[in-house]
Amino acid sequence: MKRSFGQSLSLYGGLLLIALLIVLPFWWVISGSIKLPREIIQRVPTMIPESFTLQHFEKLLQASDFPVYLINSIIVASFSMAFTVLLALPAAYAFFRMEFPGRNALYRTILLAYAFPGVVVLIPLYGLFAKVGLIDSPVALVIVNVAFALPFSIWMMRSFLATIPREIEEAAVVDGAPTTTILVRILMPLIAPGIASVAIFAFISSWTEYLFASVLIVSDARRTIPVGFAGIIGQYQIDWGLLLAGATAAIIPVVILFALVGRWFVSGLTDGAVK
Amino acid sequence: MGDYMMKLTKFLTLAGFAATLMTGTAYAAPVDLTLWHMEQPPHRVQRMKELLDEFNAAHPDIQVKQEPQSWGEVYAKAPAAFAAGNGPDLLFTIPDFTTVLKGIDAVVPVDDLVKDLDAKHGFIPATLAPYQYDDHVWAVPAYNMAISLWYRNSVLKAAGVEVPKTWSEWQAAAEKLSTDGKYGIGLPANKQLYTDQTVYSVMVNSGAADIYKDDGSIDFDKPATVNAYDFYSKLAKLSPADNGSWTWGEAEACFASNTCGMILQFGVINTYDTQAEGDAADLGVAPVPHADDQSESATISYSNAIMLTTKDEAKQAAAKVFLAWLLEPANYGRFLTMEPGLFLPVTDDGAKADSFWNDKTVTKYKSQVETMVANSHAGKLFGFTTGKVFPSIGAISAQNVIAETLQHIVVDGQTAADAVKGGQARMSEIAKK
Repeated sequence: MKRSFGQSLSLYGGLLLIALLIVLPFWWVISGSIKLPREIIQRVPTMIPESFTLQHFEKLLQASDFPVYLINSIIVASFSMAFTVLLALPAAYAFFRMEFPGRNALYRTILLAYAFPGVVVLIPLYGLFAKVGLIDSPVALVIVNVAFALPFSIWMMRSFLATIPREIEEAAVVDGAPTTTILVRILMPLIAPGIASVAIFAFISSWTEYLFASVLIVSDARRTIPVGFAGIIGQYQIDWGLLLAGATAAIIPVVILFALVGRWFVSGLTDGAVK
Repeated sequence: MGDYMMKLTKFLTLAGFAATLMTGTAYAAPVDLTLWHMEQPPHRVQRMKELLDEFNAAHPDIQVKQEPQSWGEVYAKAPAAFAAGNGPDLLFTIPDFTTVLKGIDAVVPVDDLVKDLDAKHGFIPATLAPYQYDDHVWAVPAYNMAISLWYRNSVLKAAGVEVPKTWSEWQAAAEKLSTDGKYGIGLPANKQLYTDQTVYSVMVNSGAADIYKDDGSIDFDKPATVNAYDFYSKLAKLSPADNGSWTWGEAEACFASNTCGMILQFGVINTYDTQAEGDAADLGVAPVPHADDQSESATISYSNAIMLTTKDEAKQAAAKVFLAWLLEPANYGRFLTMEPGLFLPVTDDGAKADSFWNDKTVTKYKSQVETMVANSHAGKLFGFTTGKVFPSIGAISAQNVIAETLQHIVVDGQTAADAVKGGQARMSEIAKK
């Protein structure tokens, strides 16, 4: 059906508006990071920079521990992502295919993890980690991040598994493939977009996690970006250039991750799987 | 042979004694102290590192390490750490945070140390008062911050306005400066600590400094408080419309960009100098104006202090050595100038120390810093004005009841009298819990 001019105008106008709403804040942050301080603090912001400087990035990388925070965040987020995927996949498969008592109840119950605000379990978790010597350790953050990302990841992964035709598994069973082989060799390639989605979800959840990282980590050398960055920018006096440069640098790893796995989102889920 | 044996015996005895001494000194493990502070910006952490390196080198038997924390989390983190047995030995604080940790028995009184330091350096009474209650001193004052009125000389001169000393002069000045897209004054109306501070700095100038009676009941709803809120809300109307979301940084940026003619702030020197590239001679600072029926200006001041939070006696002794070293004028000025133009001295000799006044930024803005120091002497803090401290002040402060009361006027349109009445009820309700 051909759209009228008015419909097209409304459609593209709407799309443009949405794109601007999403892009403008990013543009404001990124362009601000290369402006001179005097231009940044102007009451009416300049959308096209009138000045250019890299002084904020120099200060960020040379005079602060931002590179340390960045590396810590990459380590914590990467391990959190890997463990979440490794645990979510078999768990989702078990909920999807295996028969065991209370399966449905358990499947719904795991989402109860999100019923409690993080701050409620903060102090008990602190005590627990202190007892096992994990305070000020990135391992504690990975455990917490995985614990909080896992329930939703299992739900996501199960919904991807549910879209795979049962005939594929049955064909593998007829050929004598054990459960592990079916999961790893047959299903995993088919739900690659699902794995990518869960990986991105786990990575970003961990990348932006603030509450637990701020309490469970004590020393400056082990801080992740959200916590370390909050300290860099100050309270009574804000270095706006440093703030914008840090915000710009912080999104780079996430952009790289999207660039690497984003293509999975557009690939067909089971293209050519069943002849 | 007898002489030889005697000499040998003496030699061995002396050698053994010397060896014992050496073992006891050179090989004794140093006392390790962990210091938590909330001075997280990189330049402050660096300055602390320099000072600690210097102290540790001069005191091989004591090693102090810093672990910077955030004010946002330390209220939850410190009690958890103490409960788990891995809290710090020294902890920076502000008055209401001290009440929280005192409540869980994590703080050790420092009466004797403060007495000695006071005799030697002379604490400014306003900086010590918030930590003196229940027959003890609970922390050693480290630096002070006090709100002042900031303006540009050139802007006031161009508008034909004198630096305001009274509320009527202040309002007239703000109205006159509100022209051509500029705002005469930038005051926050956010439900946040900065608004608590600016509102209280107006309250203390109308005779409404005390919010508690001696018996611990709330003494908020009184004519002086209503006057202060009424006046503040009038000035807030002359501020930018987005002041409902302001914290310190937004107000400072408004002033630095020359959009706000005047602001109330602890300090603007750093931002004014480095981000606005302003002329030092043009930056003006004055006491917060007082109500027309008052004779002198006062302000809100936050005396930041250091608590002793270890029960280990050896660590306590070592911590006292460190604190005494820090307040020595030769070291203390360098501690204060980790944030020049913001952190003010708490001791008389610190206020005269070359190590403070020789700092590059302090030298450049000497007259402004002198005014800030003078203003800080008249500083008060809500809940800590009567010599008695009541635990509910922690919750009243944390829930920003002072700022919330203002919002009832500027957002909900209540009268100052009704809003203050509501504030009294809220505070009383919190105090009962």
